[in-house]
Amino acid sequence: MADAIMQSREAAAERLKRAPLVTNNRSMSWITNHVASCTEKAAPTWWWIAFTLSSSLALVSVFCIGYLISTGVGVWGLNHPVGWAWDITNFVFWIGIGHAGTLISAILFLTRQKWRTSINRAAEAMTLFAVVCAGIFPAVHVGRIWMVWFLAPVPNSNAIWQNFRSPLLWDVFAVSTYFTVSVLFWYTGLVPDLATLRDRATSKLRKFFYGIAALGWRGGNRQWKHYEMAYLILAGLSTPLVLSVHSVVSFDFATSVIPGWHTTIFPPYFVAGAIFGGFAMVLTIMLPARAIFGLHDLITDDHVDKMCKIILLTGSIVGYAYAMEFFIAWYGGNMYEQYAFINRATGPYWWAYWTMIFCNVVAPQLFWFRFFRRHVLWVFIVCMFVNTGMWFERFVIIVTSLHRDFLPSSWNMFYPTWVDIWTFVGTFGIFLALFLLFIRWLPMICIFEVKAVLPEADPHHGHDGHDREPAAALKEGVH
Amino acid sequence: MKRVLPHPVRETRPALWRSLDELSSSPDFAAKLEREFPQGASEWNGGELSRRNFLQLMGGSMALAGIGLTGCRRPEAYLVAFTQGAEWTIPGKFLYYATTMPRRNGAMPLIATTSDGRPTKLEGNPLHPISNGATDTFAQASVLELYDPNRSKTIKVGGVKTDAAALGAKLDEIAASAHGGEGLAFLVEHVDSPTRDRLLGQLREKFPNLLWAEYEPLGTGETTAATAACFGGKVSVIPDFSRADKVLAVDSDFLNASFSGLDQVRGFMARRRVSEPGQAMNRLYVAETHYSSTGGLADHRLRIKPSETGAFLRALGKQVAAMTGNGGLASVVAAFPDSPLSADPEWIAECAKDLAASAGKSVIVVGDQQPAAVQALGLAINTALGAPGRTLRGLRTEAPPAATIGELAAAMQAGRVQNLFILGGNPVYNAPADLRFGDLLSGVPVTVRLGSYEDETSAACQWHVPQAHYLESWGDARSADGTICAVQPMILPLWDGVAEVEILNRLAGKEEPIGPQLVRETFARIAGGGDLEAKWTEFLRQGFLPGTGWPETPLAFNAAAAAALAAQYQPSAGGMEVAFIPSSTLDDGRYANNGWLQETPDFATKITWDNAALISPSTAKELGVATGDMVQLSAGDRAIEAAALIAPGQADGAVSIALGYGRVKVTPVADKAGFNAYPLRTTGEMTHVSNVALKRTGAEYKFAETQTHQSMEGRDLVREATAERYAEEPTFAQTMGMDGHIPPNVSLFTHPPLTSPEQWGMTVDLSTCTGCNACVVACQAENNVPIVGKDQVSRGRNMAWIRMDRYFAGDENDPEMLSQAIMCQHCENAPCETVCPVNATVHSDDGLNLMAYNRCIGTRYCANNCPWKVRRFNFFDYNQRPLDQLYLGPLAKKGMADSLKMSKNPNVTVRMRGVMEKCTYCIQRIEEARITQTVQAGASDKSLVPFPEVKSACQQACPSQSIVFGNIRDPESRVAKLKSEPRNYEMLKYLNVTPRTTYLARIKNPNMAMPGADKVGRANGYGHHGGEAEHASEAHGT
Repeated sequence: MADAIMQSREAAAERLKRAPLVTNNRSMSWITNHVASCTEKAAPTWWWIAFTLSSSLALVSVFCIGYLISTGVGVWGLNHPVGWAWDITNFVFWIGIGHAGTLISAILFLTRQKWRTSINRAAEAMTLFAVVCAGIFPAVHVGRIWMVWFLAPVPNSNAIWQNFRSPLLWDVFAVSTYFTVSVLFWYTGLVPDLATLRDRATSKLRKFFYGIAALGWRGGNRQWKHYEMAYLILAGLSTPLVLSVHSVVSFDFATSVIPGWHTTIFPPYFVAGAIFGGFAMVLTIMLPARAIFGLHDLITDDHVDKMCKIILLTGSIVGYAYAMEFFIAWYGGNMYEQYAFINRATGPYWWAYWTMIFCNVVAPQLFWFRFFRRHVLWVFIVCMFVNTGMWFERFVIIVTSLHRDFLPSSWNMFYPTWVDIWTFVGTFGIFLALFLLFIRWLPMICIFEVKAVLPEADPHHGHDGHDREPAAALKEGVH
Repeated sequence: MKRVLPHPVRETRPALWRSLDELSSSPDFAAKLEREFPQGASEWNGGELSRRNFLQLMGGSMALAGIGLTGCRRPEAYLVAFTQGAEWTIPGKFLYYATTMPRRNGAMPLIATTSDGRPTKLEGNPLHPISNGATDTFAQASVLELYDPNRSKTIKVGGVKTDAAALGAKLDEIAASAHGGEGLAFLVEHVDSPTRDRLLGQLREKFPNLLWAEYEPLGTGETTAATAACFGGKVSVIPDFSRADKVLAVDSDFLNASFSGLDQVRGFMARRRVSEPGQAMNRLYVAETHYSSTGGLADHRLRIKPSETGAFLRALGKQVAAMTGNGGLASVVAAFPDSPLSADPEWIAECAKDLAASAGKSVIVVGDQQPAAVQALGLAINTALGAPGRTLRGLRTEAPPAATIGELAAAMQAGRVQNLFILGGNPVYNAPADLRFGDLLSGVPVTVRLGSYEDETSAACQWHVPQAHYLESWGDARSADGTICAVQPMILPLWDGVAEVEILNRLAGKEEPIGPQLVRETFARIAGGGDLEAKWTEFLRQGFLPGTGWPETPLAFNAAAAAALAAQYQPSAGGMEVAFIPSSTLDDGRYANNGWLQETPDFATKITWDNAALISPSTAKELGVATGDMVQLSAGDRAIEAAALIAPGQADGAVSIALGYGRVKVTPVADKAGFNAYPLRTTGEMTHVSNVALKRTGAEYKFAETQTHQSMEGRDLVREATAERYAEEPTFAQTMGMDGHIPPNVSLFTHPPLTSPEQWGMTVDLSTCTGCNACVVACQAENNVPIVGKDQVSRGRNMAWIRMDRYFAGDENDPEMLSQAIMCQHCENAPCETVCPVNATVHSDDGLNLMAYNRCIGTRYCANNCPWKVRRFNFFDYNQRPLDQLYLGPLAKKGMADSLKMSKNPNVTVRMRGVMEKCTYCIQRIEEARITQTVQAGASDKSLVPFPEVKSACQQACPSQSIVFGNIRDPESRVAKLKSEPRNYEMLKYLNVTPRTTYLARIKNPNMAMPGADKVGRANGYGHHGGEAEHASEAHGT
């Protein structure tokens, strides 16, 4: 009997045993060597090809923007009544992508999710680059970019202040704050690893630059103490920002009077959508990077599995929001609202709406199944769908609401021009070029944090039941 | 005598001194003091070249300058170059002069606003009995034509530039060689000008055999023939709608002031406007082929094929004759040949019954283009209805006899024309196709052409002489009532323009008198004795000579003559018919190079820069034609191609096509805009062609529409009801649809206080708005609104600050048409203001939604959040770049033509690319009034001076007085009174934006006995929720 109990306990313990965050019993030095060497070895050929292509694409975007600024906003397909289309769609798309990184770094840090350690660095970098891409659009979409300094609260002789009632101004502050804090947070987290690179540097140049960047980090006890406090504070600062930025972005629409925009559900819906899209983009970037750099031991299938679960959760929230919008439109009894949503689903842009529904609501349902969550190709495919779907979500919200609002006499269609298309496509070039530079020059995985989640890094290892793995505790019969 | 204002010489040493020099009072110091004195002071002391000297010299040299036709200049007495300040002007202040726009259907009396010597805006002359201060689309746009850089600029012979002296010599040569006028012929436009008539008299004396022909593609020759037969002699028959309870319009767009008269529109609207519930109003029946603006306002509208107009009137006349027992009408009806009629007989019977029941208070109007026989039948019915003397006025007119273009063509064919003068017009383009006028011209040895543009006719003539615009030449013209109006130049000809009367005068062998003397001589004969100088001054000041209207004459109907005329009616065979209609924006094509008009959407089709073959939805379905399909219309050996447009309300089996389009390589603006219908039009088929073969060519065409959706989608935007319902439920407009049950609205924002004693607001009366577009063009002229070109319009980027929304409601084949002028509504809780991040759009304390262009960075958020979508964004530098080079960016040519710069209103900023703009309620006019008030208050001992009346440009232009602007806080103001009417409603009230522009619901007055009467006035349905029930059946557009 006792044996049977012991056996079932052992079996249960085996099942419940928490999978190690780093597989194959990799040692600390292996991790350091492996991650740091990515920046130390000569750039492989594929890198040069990828960088040439992506930076060329980036130049296309730069050219389109130059054309736009020199000629006029009319080079895009905008019109009356569609005053915003791809510009703000791209802005919200990119800013949404820029949510996963800080969420992973800050919120998962505060909630002590140790699995974040191997993905947070790259995710954060991706956040920054996405915010850079996002920032381009609101800046260049204006009619007179040479006057955008009016947005800054600079005292001037006209005594004209900004309009603090405008969500667009809130955007300026929200996005710039988010970018600043994200940069600080990311950089703070980089300092110990920069010191590692400095210490490993063999050339004078690397020594010099990493030495400057490492800010004199020596790894002393006091420094670690300060570092951890700083990192915690920044995590605390970043956490509300993750929620606030996209809430503020959603206010651009929610505070307006346009049916389809004027919706109180927007802030949570946008935040969920941003996390959804952000995680999809993290996976889109990380899966190829993991394959290329052989990081399977650090970014394990468990990591992928967990991220897929978050995608499934947030995707479901987004799906719920889509349904709720329709319900409220019906329940609210406002004919303009009702029309706006019927028009989304059945109007001339029905294809965009149903693309969005398929990509964002239907496709992630595969992640209910473990098989799909752990099958790299399926994960990649679903993430590509989500990326597409999230772009279409913003397009649907912006364009279908504007193109048919209150007065049918003003109804019109929006058709993108080649400048619209290439400006957007080019931002992927900017994004990828920056990411490629990042993986060449900075450790894409947080070396010291990953080392800290190794079993041998746990100072209480085997001494106290509290911190023990639940499986181990169960095995020993300690409750 | 020269004023001498020396610096006062001091007798003694000053008691107070500022410097030792002053104390010593040395002559050096006095000289220095003088130099120090303001600019021009030394001239007062008798400098060599003072401003006055300069003007004297300039005036003298101008008077002495020039030989030949340059000598035929108006005296420059009051035309002073602004390189030197003119004494009576204040820079930046407008000066107003009376002038007149000569038109074929009666001159339009105008007041020209000039700033620094440039006319920039035209308004109606409120003193003139016919005008009431209103204008129409064409008059508003004519100021652009003055500055049109594409106007012809030089005299040319055989395409080579020459000068006025050569032309003068040629004219003298022609005059010398044309003995008795044999072989001398003139082709002119129809203008009622006493001076031209007088000069023609002189010419006829000198050349008794000259041939004087008049041609207007859309003339009134048939009307004149009909009235002459029915009433004898030259009679103008003018309907007096202010006395008419029931009106029937047959193929007549009399509510479009461009084609009738301002007084007619005003008279009709006086009876249409319903302020009190239960107030009596007139009833309008319309029978027509395409949707005219008159049809849009009709209580009952019957779609008839153009060939059936005669049969329709015959059927109606028969009923009226039976009801009134009028023998005269019976005899005319009997003489009028019968032809098939597909219209509903019940409609005709009930209409006839209603008209007869109001005998003496009813009138029918038949379109000017209809054959004389049809018009005679119309006059017979009017006579039977007792209209003459009551709702029809007869005026005894005079006009010198003129041949038709057909007679001229016959003479040319016979080789009897050696010297042909084509003064104005464009016969090569628009003469009936059967005349082959262009070919005939090549057989004439000497052809002299006076025209504003180097067009098709110029190309076929040897001499081309640029025609002076009416704003740069002297003349006179009679308005429709006969009153003589002064045509005064506002500016010297910008280029070498020559006036028609100058050529006639030269041919009459008189180099002198010139310019105003020509007009004054005519004036002297009419105005008679007394103090001629004072009378002349008053004539110019007032713009017209009161008491010179045509005398009233009793209308004695000559049934026998009318019957004889009626008997000549030739019913045209059926089949597919093509009706030729005037373009609501280009008229007969004369305004084709006017960008403002090209870009003004037609009120019914909403297309710009094009005309179209209008086809009814059911006919289009039958033929398998869709909007944008190119179709070939052929009759006999004549054929044209045009793009089809499915037009709700169009008669089945008939295509209507507007005239005046389809010019190729003539002038840049008109180039390739639309399709030329003239090649299908012949002398015998001026209104329509029957038995036309219509086939698709397979090609596609893209229209630039400003409105692509035609239904209100069950939204209560335009609200209407029948007079009956208005009497029963006066507040229907305020409780319609959602407005019946919106909870109390709360604003989250605090708003700046509206503290000014003036609070500006506007009402638009939908009962009287015809959608004629006069307001749209007036706004464009007043506010320097740029045109953007067809490509940009088709991308949805037209810049008009005021637009005419047009909805169809009901059956798609026979819908109601509703027009609604939409401009910035100046919301008190403006959604645009809260979202602008840089405070570029803010509210003023007098309730205006302001737009600070300098502050605008162009986020377009305000436009997105505007529920009315009235904000307009400068996607390109429309003012600075050629419209065909917008996409070239910095590589495109930069800058505006100099002459166009002169056309701008100096009080309104010309906007650059990247900024938002919109209706300002004509803030520049408000501010001008405010300055006037301040000045008056300062000059008076009163602390409160009433705010001078301000009219917005759209209000001032509106022929039907549908737009009323003013101070809503003043309970005595017209706008405040209108806003207290129960018909007054806000659009989209649930948004709580509290717009300052409100609408007065449209009231219809159906005759319940008419077929389809239950559908009249129900654009919103009658239910609690407005038009939702009707929604499903509404026309969903083309």
